[in-house]
Amino acid sequence: MPKAIQLTLIVPAILLFVFLFAMFPIVLQADQQWHWNEGFSSIRDYFAGIGSGESFRYLAGKTELSFWEQIGANFKTTLFYVSIGSAAGTLIGLLLGVYFGVSRREGLKRFVELTSVLPDFVVIILLQFLIVFIYSKTDWLVFEVASTSRDDPAIGLPLISAIIIPANYMLRNVAMHMGHTLSEDYISYAKARGLGKTYIVFFHALPNVLPYVKADLHKFMGIMFGNLFIFEYLYNISGLSMMVFNNAFADEGYQYSLVVNGVVALLVLYLIVYAWQRLLLYGIEKVFAR
Amino acid sequence: MNNKTLLTGLTITILMLLATLFGPYLSPHGADEQLKIHYDAAQNTVIAPPAPPGGEYPLGTDKLGYDMLAIMLDGAKYTILLSVAIALFRVLIGGIIGLILGYYGKEKKGRTGQFSMWSLLNGIPVFIIAWMIMVGISMNPSVSPAYLAFLLAVVLAIIGIPSVAATIQEKAIVVREKQFVLSAKALGASPWAIVRRHIFPSIKENVIILFVQEAVLVLGLFGQLAIFHIFVGGTVRYLDPFLPPIYISRSNEWSGLIGQARNMFYVYQWILLVPLIGYVLYIVGFHLISVGLEKKYKKKYAKFAQI
Repeated sequence: MPKAIQLTLIVPAILLFVFLFAMFPIVLQADQQWHWNEGFSSIRDYFAGIGSGESFRYLAGKTELSFWEQIGANFKTTLFYVSIGSAAGTLIGLLLGVYFGVSRREGLKRFVELTSVLPDFVVIILLQFLIVFIYSKTDWLVFEVASTSRDDPAIGLPLISAIIIPANYMLRNVAMHMGHTLSEDYISYAKARGLGKTYIVFFHALPNVLPYVKADLHKFMGIMFGNLFIFEYLYNISGLSMMVFNNAFADEGYQYSLVVNGVVALLVLYLIVYAWQRLLLYGIEKVFAR
Repeated sequence: MNNKTLLTGLTITILMLLATLFGPYLSPHGADEQLKIHYDAAQNTVIAPPAPPGGEYPLGTDKLGYDMLAIMLDGAKYTILLSVAIALFRVLIGGIIGLILGYYGKEKKGRTGQFSMWSLLNGIPVFIIAWMIMVGISMNPSVSPAYLAFLLAVVLAIIGIPSVAATIQEKAIVVREKQFVLSAKALGASPWAIVRRHIFPSIKENVIILFVQEAVLVLGLFGQLAIFHIFVGGTVRYLDPFLPPIYISRSNEWSGLIGQARNMFYVYQWILLVPLIGYVLYIVGFHLISVGLEKKYKKKYAKFAQI
């Protein structure tokens, strides 16, 4: 199949997936029966509502809002955290990963590995605990624990968590591949030629680690997007995932069209961040690989 | 055994398993025993839940007056046994599929890091898929907690199978290319015999480590779902027109206890800390087992850094 046809087929396929995915809460309900008819009629209603604009209105509590008016600010907030988190996470993770791959400080390595198995929400709750603890001991509020309103958002702590969770994953990945790469024969050859340690690590080993990082990008992004839901919710940040999944069940029940629109917006966000990550990796490759 | 990591991990896990099985018979309070608001004449005070840790309640009570130790032990069977069961199911089914695909399937070609539109779906996290499936049937359900926990287990197991199968397939393909598989084939061994006697034994260690890691992943999913009010065994939701809704776990499963108390870092911190510590300890136990096993197995093969 030519590439163009593949692409034109795959977009409707993904949309179909989203439509079916958003149907779950309608089809599966508390009475333990399948509600297929209601599920498919909600898809029909969605298409019927596109013309009248009904599919782009949703309830937040009891107020009706327009999807197009709300999405801008929420999308921007989420994009802010994800783009900074992914870029800073990649850079920090890469550098620390190189360090961890080379160093022999086993205790430190073990500690980092331990923190990386803790689920993201545990890390966030522990950070919040730490802030409260420091405040109760010293009266010094390092960061706000969570946003209290949209005008007074907590930025410091969410940004830190948005960075350390992807950074931690990147670090482990890079350190592991660094360890493998450093055991290769061309490294000992470079050493025998009398090249410096730093030079070998950054110009012989690192360029051979970067392809793994690139291949793992989707997994990296998957972890970041999973984390996104958790941390917007725990820090009470009004971003994309909060807008969709906090209002998914409004006063009158499940809002099918909001979830469909929200998931599509999420996938658009994924595309943007993916392009941004590829650009970043391209830049890094330009620096280290020749 | 000269492997302290593995030993520590096994000790933690076995102790928790024993507590799950025998704890409820030994704990001072029952899971349905409630500390009610009452007047203590001897001390001339009104005693109201939550009671802090220490004294009569070693880990304190929650807001409704239930003993934390008792409800932790009550919920432990879900956290501890169900997570292991789901991981086992994932590895068993995913492993069989992976071995078959690894033996018959073709090696994946293509450049690394290529973009296909399907990878867009990575943007939808796994726990959100589980959430969407469970949210309709988990809120104020009519069925028993055990049945609902079983349903969630089936959903989580099925969701995890593809990634396990892919991992096993990758390993199986590597082994398939080895000389001894070729010789077995030349001797006329059937595909089933090759998979059973040659491919499986050489990736056995990886399967065991994968199982432990899957258990940790399942626990993470329990927790993420609980943050969004889907508790293992179902959620009781109290709607109040003037207050935010209250969500209570029906099964006292640990991540459910964390989820229902997730705002407790200002006051009554033990209500959040006690289940959180239990949950983290259990994950750490599994992690140590996995690291210990890796250490044990990899000592034989690993090459060392030249620098």
